[in-house]
Order: sequence, then C-alpha cells, then structure tokens
Amino acid sequence: MQNPADNQQALHSGPVVAASLSLLLAFSTLMISHHISRLSRELDNIVHAYGHWIPGSTGSGPDGSIGSYSGKETLALMVWLGSWLIFHFLWRKQDLSLQAWTRFFVVSLAVITLGFFHPLSDPIVLFVAGLFGIH
Amino acid sequence: MHAGEYIHDHFSKIVIRSQVAIALTLLLLLPAANFFYPTDYNLKAGIHGVSAILAIVIGTYLTHRAIPLLKGMHVRLESLRRWVLIATLLNLTGAISGNWIYMRYRGQDGPRDWILAHVPNFHNVLMEFKEFVSLFPFPLMLAATFTLYYYGMPIQYRRDITRFVGITILVSWSFLLLGFAAGLVLAKLRFV
Repeated sequence: MQNPADNQQALHSGPVVAASLSLLLAFSTLMISHHISRLSRELDNIVHAYGHWIPGSTGSGPDGSIGSYSGKETLALMVWLGSWLIFHFLWRKQDLSLQAWTRFFVVSLAVITLGFFHPLSDPIVLFVAGLFGIH
Repeated sequence: MHAGEYIHDHFSKIVIRSQVAIALTLLLLLPAANFFYPTDYNLKAGIHGVSAILAIVIGTYLTHRAIPLLKGMHVRLESLRRWVLIATLLNLTGAISGNWIYMRYRGQDGPRDWILAHVPNFHNVLMEFKEFVSLFPFPLMLAATFTLYYYGMPIQYRRDITRFVGITILVSWSFLLLGFAAGLVLAKLRFV
C-alpha cells in the first residue's frame, strides 16, 4: 500500500487557487462592466457589443432582449476561462497556502456581492467616475 | 457509556423516503404549475422554475454532504462528486433558462415596466442584485466539481483542499438561495 505521506506530496494546491481566483476575477468583471454600462449610453453600447453573439441579446417588443447584460456575461466568461487556463498552467506544480487563500476568497466574494447592491455601490461608483471626468 | 452509531431500521427508512418523495413532488408542483399559466411565456417560466427548485433541493442536500469535508473526514467521494456534477448542470440550466426568461422580463409591458411604474426599487435594487448573484452558483459548483475530479481519490489526504471544496459548496448554495428568494419575490410581484 502507498504511504499517505507520498500522496500528500504528490498533490499541489495551485489548481484550486487558480480555479477560485479566476472566479473572483470573473465576478469582479461582471460588477465593473455593470457599473460602467450604467454611466452613459455610449459606455452601455460598448459593453453591449461584446454580447451580440448571444441569441436574444438585441431586440425590443413584448419578447424583449437581455440587452447589455449579454456583454457583461461575455466579458466575465472571457476573463473567467482565460485567467483559469493561465493560472492553472502556471501553478499546477505549486503548493500554495490554502489557509490564507480560503479566508481571502470568502471575504472577497462578500465584498463583490455588496458591490451589486446599488444603494451601497452607487455613491462609490459615481465618486470614481467623477475622478475620470465621467458623469 | 457508548450508545453506538444510530442506524435507521427498515421502517424509519420507509418513513423518511416517503416524506422526501411527497415533499419533492409537492415542491415541484409549485414551478411546474407555471407551464399551465395563461401567458405566452409559460414554457420559459416553467423551465426556469423547475430547474431553480431542483438546483435548490440538490444544493441543500449537498450542504449536508459538505459538512464532513469541512471537518476533514473521509467521504464517499465517488458519490459526492457525481452529486456535485449534477448540481453544476442544474445550476447551468437555471442560468441559461434565467437568461431566456429575463428577455421577457425586460420586454414591452413586461414585469420590469410594471415594477418600475409601481414599485421601482424592486427592480432598481432587488432585480439588479439578483440578476448577477444568480450567475455565481454555476461557476462555483463547476470549480468544486473540477477539484473533485482533478485530484481524484488522493484528495482525501489533503484536508485543506477538501475543506476548500466544502466551503465552495456552501458559498454556492448561499448565492443560490439569495437568487432564488429574490426570484420568487419578483415572480410573485409580477409574473411574465
């Protein structure tokens, strides 16, 4: 029988960090692109353009469309899968501390979630947009 | 004194299984009724409702399976990862059907128009929150599925990794529940 200690050494936690970090980046992309799209019609069109490939992303009438939501989803998908692939191959042979990472991961998710709560996030978004001269 | 592990006898198993079957059937009738609602969008509404309820049921079951993972105990990995995979697929179905029904939500004289005219904050705050957090459970579950299949059986030697998977399952369920409760409120407020 194999010694458990050998097995433990053979496993690397890098892929776990890669998979979860890419999620944080994807959810942040959703949040940032959402707030950007709300600032002006032009910015909304730019975000929307990324999502035109999704059926039902454009159109009006009773059947409606998902509008620029499609672009936010597309951007998040690109960041998610792209960064997951890169980090996975970078870290697949590395052992990273999951103890510290678990805490960071959960706290970041909570912060991102609050970022979607408009009464809380809007004043911050408008302040940051003001720094860039966008109103 | 050691009382030993409690093991259900044949009778209690029948009671428990019947209870689960009755509860699941009745619960599924809630969204399945959408298929028969007098609207052009009953098919979309029904599919989204059924997939959401199923995702909630499996997700909740998985939170119980996640507890031994958090404590670093040995689990039946083969069965666990199959359930996590099923949950991933259900959450994907929920997200895709959610996108589908969201089109009508935003359509002319759809729920959004009505809500904005009567109780705007249910759209401006609740829906704007719900539409994004509802996207979270699928990728979180996929990350858990990936981890369980990628490492395979030796994962049991790494408590830190199994603990992370357990936390991911719990977090995914939290977002699922947030999205589900918000979705119920909105559908009850103004149906498609």
